[in-house]
Amino acid sequence: MAKWRSWLGLAPASIIMLGLFGSSLGYGIAQSLGWLPFLDQRELSLAAYRNVLVGQQLGGQWWSALLFSLWVSCAATFGSACICLGLLSSIAERQQHYRGLSIVSNLHLAIPHSVWAMALLLMLSQSGILARIGFAVGWLDQPKDFPVLVRDRWGIGIILAYITKEVPFLLLIGLATLRQQGRAYLLVAQSLGANRWQRLRLVLWPLLAPSLISGSFLVFSFIFGAYEVPALVGVRYPEMLATMALELFLNPDLQARAEGMAVSMLMSLIILAVVGLAWRWREQR
Amino acid sequence: MSYLQLDQLTKSYAQQTILQNINLNLNQGEFLALLGPSGSGKSTILKLLAGIEAADAGEMRLAERLLNPVPAHQREIVLLFQQPYLFPFLSVAENIGFGLKARKEPKKLIQQKVAELLELVELGGMQQRKPQQLSGGQQQRVALARALAVQPKVLLLDEPLSSLDPEIRVNLQGVIARLHRELHMTTIIVTHDLSEALALAQRTALLINGEIIADLNSIELFERPPNRAAAQFVGVGAIIVGHMQGPTFCSSLGQFNGNFAPNTRHVAIRPEHIQINDQPQPQTIAAQIIERRYLGERWEYRLQTNEQIVVARETVQAIREIGQTVYLHFPQQSIFALND
Amino acid sequence: MSYRKLVLLLAFLLIVPIAIFLVYAFAQGWFFPALWPERWDSELFLRQLRDPQVRRGFEQSLVVATGVSGLALLLGYPAARVLELQQFRGRGLIYGLFFLPTVVPSVATGIGLNIVFLRLDLAGTLFGVMLVHLIPVLPYVVLTLGSSLAHYDRNYEHQAAVLGASPWLVFWRVSLPLLLPSLVVAGVLAFLISWSQYVLSLLIGGGKIITLPMLLFSAASGGNYSLIASLSLIFIAPLLLLLGLVARYLGSPATGATPRP
Repeated sequence: MAKWRSWLGLAPASIIMLGLFGSSLGYGIAQSLGWLPFLDQRELSLAAYRNVLVGQQLGGQWWSALLFSLWVSCAATFGSACICLGLLSSIAERQQHYRGLSIVSNLHLAIPHSVWAMALLLMLSQSGILARIGFAVGWLDQPKDFPVLVRDRWGIGIILAYITKEVPFLLLIGLATLRQQGRAYLLVAQSLGANRWQRLRLVLWPLLAPSLISGSFLVFSFIFGAYEVPALVGVRYPEMLATMALELFLNPDLQARAEGMAVSMLMSLIILAVVGLAWRWREQR
Repeated sequence: MSYLQLDQLTKSYAQQTILQNINLNLNQGEFLALLGPSGSGKSTILKLLAGIEAADAGEMRLAERLLNPVPAHQREIVLLFQQPYLFPFLSVAENIGFGLKARKEPKKLIQQKVAELLELVELGGMQQRKPQQLSGGQQQRVALARALAVQPKVLLLDEPLSSLDPEIRVNLQGVIARLHRELHMTTIIVTHDLSEALALAQRTALLINGEIIADLNSIELFERPPNRAAAQFVGVGAIIVGHMQGPTFCSSLGQFNGNFAPNTRHVAIRPEHIQINDQPQPQTIAAQIIERRYLGERWEYRLQTNEQIVVARETVQAIREIGQTVYLHFPQQSIFALND
Repeated sequence: MSYRKLVLLLAFLLIVPIAIFLVYAFAQGWFFPALWPERWDSELFLRQLRDPQVRRGFEQSLVVATGVSGLALLLGYPAARVLELQQFRGRGLIYGLFFLPTVVPSVATGIGLNIVFLRLDLAGTLFGVMLVHLIPVLPYVVLTLGSSLAHYDRNYEHQAAVLGASPWLVFWRVSLPLLLPSLVVAGVLAFLISWSQYVLSLLIGGGKIITLPMLLFSAASGGNYSLIASLSLIFIAPLLLLLGLVARYLGSPATGATPRP
C-alpha cells in the first residue's frame, strides 16, 4: 500500500520527463541516422555523421567549431574557477555566515544569460560605454581604436560573459561547503600552528576542491552546449557547436537537418562523457 | 611568577558583557577545570587564550611573555573543540602530523611521532584510516593526539567529552587523566559537569555570569563551597540564614558554634551530612518528607521544616515514606560559613 | 578583499547592467563619443511598451512561464517528496532521469522534439511551448525542492498525525506552511527559467508563439542599442520584482535555490 502510494507521487513527473526527454533523444538519434519520414527517407545510415566529421563541406566547420567550443568552455571554466577560489580564499578566514554573499550570488544567477550578454555588448562594444570613457579620457581617437572585445574572433566577449556569470555560481557551490564547518577547520589548523598560507594550501583548498571541481565540470558542460551567448556576442566564424547545430537544423535544405541532428548528438555525447567522468571522479572519493 | 597569567581579562559582544575582569594564574603542569553553567563565558576564556578572539581589555601572559599581540598559530597553545574536527580529506596519520608538517618537521620524525601518539591514545596501527571510519570517541582521541603532537605549552579542552556517550566519556576521562600524569602538560578543561571537574582537575574555577566566583581545590569546592552562588551550583542540603551572637551562629534551625567570621549571615551543610532520626532528640528539628528519590547508593529526601526546605541524603537503611515526620540533626562540625 | 567589499562589489555588478540599459533606453541623440546623453526622452521606451508585438510577446511569455511554473510545482512537489524522503529500488535511476535533462543542452532536446511536436500538432501552440519548457524546468524544481526537503524534519508531520490530523490537514496546516518559502523560491526560479528560455520556444513555437527572448534576439541582430536596452529592461523587470520578493529566502540552505550555471 505504502509502496504503491509512493510511486503515485513520483509517476506523473517521471512519465512526463521520460516521454519528453526520451522521445527527443529517440527522434534526435533516428533523424541523425537519416530517418526522415517526411522526406520519405526511412533508410538508416551514418551519412550525416560522415558528412559532419570528414565531409568536404562540413568537416572543416565541425572541427573548427569543436576546437572553438573547447577553447571557450575551457577558458571560461578555468577563469571563473580561479577567480572563485581566489575570492573564497580571501574571505574564508574571518567569516562565519555567508548570508549576504549567497543572496547577491543568487540574484546574479537569476539574470538571464541573454540579458547579461546584451549588457556586456553595450558596455564593451566599439561604441559602447567603455569606449566612450576611453575617448573622454583621451586613450583613443576613434571607435576602432578600442579593442574588439565582443563579437570578436577569439570569443573574448563570450568568455567574458560566461566568466562574470559563472563566478557567482561557483561561489555558491563553494559557500555550501564552507558554511558547514569551514571556519572550524581553519581555526583548528591555526591553533595547531599553521600560518595563513598553510591554512589555505593544506586546509581550505583540499576542503573546497571536490565541490569546486564538480561545479567546474557542470560549468564546462553548460557552456559547451549553450546557444544564447555565442549567438548574441559571438561571430559567424569561428562559431560554437550549438550555433552550428541550430543553423544547420533551421536550414531550408531539409537534408541539412540530419547533419544538424548529428552535430547536436555528438555535442551531447561529449557533454555526457564529461559529466560521466566527473561523476566517476566523485564516486571514487 | 605563575606560568600562565590572566589579568583583568574583559570581553563583550554587541554590548553584552561576556567576561568581566577575569584573573587566573596557573602554575606549569597544573590541571584546572573551568566550571560553569552554559552561557557563563567559560568557552570564551579559551578562545581568548587560543587567540581565536581578541580580548577587549586585560592581559594574558605565558611564561612572562605577553600573549595578546601573538597570532593564534604562534601561541603554542592548542585548543581542542567539542567536536573533533578531523580534516575529512586527510588520513588519521596526516591529521595527527598536521601541526608538525606546518612546522616543516622531517617526514621520518613525523611518522615516528604519529606512531607514538597513536599508542598513547590507544589507537595503535590506525594510521591509514579515514576520520569517517572512526567512532566518535576514537575521533576525539585522534584530535587529542593531534593537539599533543605539537607539544603545546598549554592544552585547552573545550567540553571535549560532552557530545560522547556516558561510557565512552568515562573512558576518555581516564585517558586524559593518564596523559596529564605522564606528560605534565599545563591544561585547562571547560566543562559544565561538576563530576568531570572533580574527576580530572586538582583545581576548579567556578564561573557564573562572566565572573569567577570561586577558584580553589576541586574537592574543597565540592565539600565546602565558599559562597552562596557556589553552594547553589554544587548543591548543598540547606543554606541556613541567621546571625552571629558572640561566637555562636543563631538560626531557626539551631545554634552552631564554629570558627565563623563575626559578620557571617549564611551557613550551609552538605546533604549527606544531615542526620535523619525517627524520634525527637536534643538538637533536632522536625520536618516532613515531601519528596524522595532513589539515587542508587543513597536515598535523597526533600524535607519541609517550619522555615525552609532541606535536602538530605542517607545510605539505604530504612526507606522512609512521603508524609512521614522525621527529626533532623545538623552536626556542628559539618556546618560551614558562606560569604555573601 | 574583505567580505563586505566582495558583497558590495557583486551588488554593484548587478546594478551596472540595469543602469546601462536605463541610460541607453532613455537617451536621445546619444552619438559616439559623447559621454553623457544630451537629452533624455522616454518616447522610444514607451513606444516599445505600446508596441503590439512586444505586448504579445510579454503576454505569451507570462502565460507560458506562469503555466509552466505552476505545472512544475504541482508535478514536482510529490516527486521530490518521494525521491528525497523515501528509500526504494531504482531511486538512482529516477534521480538520473531528472539530472540528465539539466546537462543535455536545450539545442539538442529542442531539435529532437521539433518533429515530434509537429506530428502531434503541438508545435506553434502555447500548450506545446509550456510542455517543452518542462524539460529544463521540472527537473530543476524536483532537485531544488529535494534539497530543501533534506533540511525538512518530517517529525512535524508525524506529530500532527499522532495528534489526530488527517493527511489532508497535515499537508494543509503543517507541511505547506513549513515548506512555503521553499515552494515559493522553486516557483520563482521555475518562472525565471521558462521566462529566459529562447531555443526551446523558437523550435517549438515555430514563429506562431512569440516570447520576449525572441524579440530580444531579433533586436540584437538589428544592432539598435536603444531598442536592445528597452527590450532588456522590459525583459528583466518582472524577474527583478519576483526576486526582490524572495531575496531574503535565498541566503539559507533550507529555503534557498539549488545553484545552476
